Amino acid sequence: MGDSSVAVRLDKISKRLGWTWALREIGLEVERGSSVVLIGPNGAGKTTLLRLVATLLKPTTGTGEVMGFSLQEDADAIRYRTGLLSAHGHLYGDLNALENLRFAAWMGGVSVDEARLRAALAKVGLDHVSKQRAREFSSGMQKRLAFATLLMRRLDLVLLDEPYASLDSDGIRMVDDFVDEWRAGGGTVLLATHRRGLAVRKADRVAVLQAGRLHRYCRPDELEPADLDPQPVVPAG
Amino acid sequence: MKSSLALRTWAILWKDLLIELRTKQSFSAMVFFAALVLFLFGFAIGPDTATLSRLGGGLLWIAIAFTGMLSLGRTFQSEEVAGGLDGLRMYPGEIRAIYLGKLLANFSMLVVLEVVLVPVAAVLLQLEPWGRFPLFVGITLLGTFGFSVIGTFYASLTQHLRARELMLPLLLFPALVPVFLGAVNGTTLALAGDPLDRIGGWIRLLISFDIIFFVVCVWIYPLVLEE
Repeated sequence: MGDSSVAVRLDKISKRLGWTWALREIGLEVERGSSVVLIGPNGAGKTTLLRLVATLLKPTTGTGEVMGFSLQEDADAIRYRTGLLSAHGHLYGDLNALENLRFAAWMGGVSVDEARLRAALAKVGLDHVSKQRAREFSSGMQKRLAFATLLMRRLDLVLLDEPYASLDSDGIRMVDDFVDEWRAGGGTVLLATHRRGLAVRKADRVAVLQAGRLHRYCRPDELEPADLDPQPVVPAG
Repeated sequence: MKSSLALRTWAILWKDLLIELRTKQSFSAMVFFAALVLFLFGFAIGPDTATLSRLGGGLLWIAIAFTGMLSLGRTFQSEEVAGGLDGLRMYPGEIRAIYLGKLLANFSMLVVLEVVLVPVAAVLLQLEPWGRFPLFVGITLLGTFGFSVIGTFYASLTQHLRARELMLPLLLFPALVPVFLGAVNGTTLALAGDPLDRIGGWIRLLISFDIIFFVVCVWIYPLVLEE
């Protein structure tokens, strides 16, 4: 177990997917209770980095720790403490909102009563459609429901992949409130987005990825204008 | 709290059966296809009772096997629609729960299919399963379990392949030979009578292969799913 004040520590992590290096020698430290935003153009490696921290991918080279547990050796211990909200949301269209939450709770090893499920739905503003199937939701509502699945477990670290996608202004506020509440409760947030302007407002630190490499890791006020502009995709190699 | 294997297995079984109950996508097609296969065989063989009695066990298992392929091919469809298996892999706890939940879902679907199929087969193929019914049911369940154990495992193996509809039966059927051998012979003896009392050997073969395949598949499943 490493330093208890560090939620994520990556040391020269590289990841090769097929013949392409998706990540090259990433070194990063995320403090517990902080919010770090990953920005970069499409193909920069943001999602790969989140999947790696979530232990869904193993690093090709380099070492890393999440909440003091080794990425290579302690995947299960990390999964107990980490939740990933992917761009897909991993919802089942033929289950209703309550059933999707119940499934998420059971898979997390938590037996929950309906009151807690309804409270989670109310928190994301979906309590009025609890019996409606997820396939009938708009993409914004599906995103809200995916957020609610994270509330079913006690997590130390949440990984949010493009959380602002498909959301209206209320939805964006919901994501911001979620990030604020999570940090207020001592949780850590690692958020990947290409909507730089939106995300940077909530960041303690910003990691700029370009072509699989960490271009800059700094406070939001230290970003340079070029970091906030879309960059052309350069294949990592 | 450690995620309980039983709770996670139940969650996947509950989710898959609930989705099937809502959509009836697989089951309707399975029943129709199985009845069609039995009808064609019955029609081709004609009303020769002796031949039907001799071939009945095999014909029934051909219908179950072909129809079961439809179910196995859709084992991970709900995950694909939901964005891939990462959705299940990112949960903590024993990853074998995914296999066990999917296995039980496939087994349950096939058992329900057989409840519909056996009376249809009895009529179309003039079978008489009622004489030694408990034995017939026991052999059918053992064969179905073996089919589900190996089928679910190979469905996991081939889920990422582009030509998985082709690869799944190609890989699966050779592995199923011992199960079919025991199931077809056992079912035939249960249906047509067993004057030499040979059925015990086929039942022991089925039980042995079910146990061996179950233990091996559960044991190595994490290697299939993890990167």
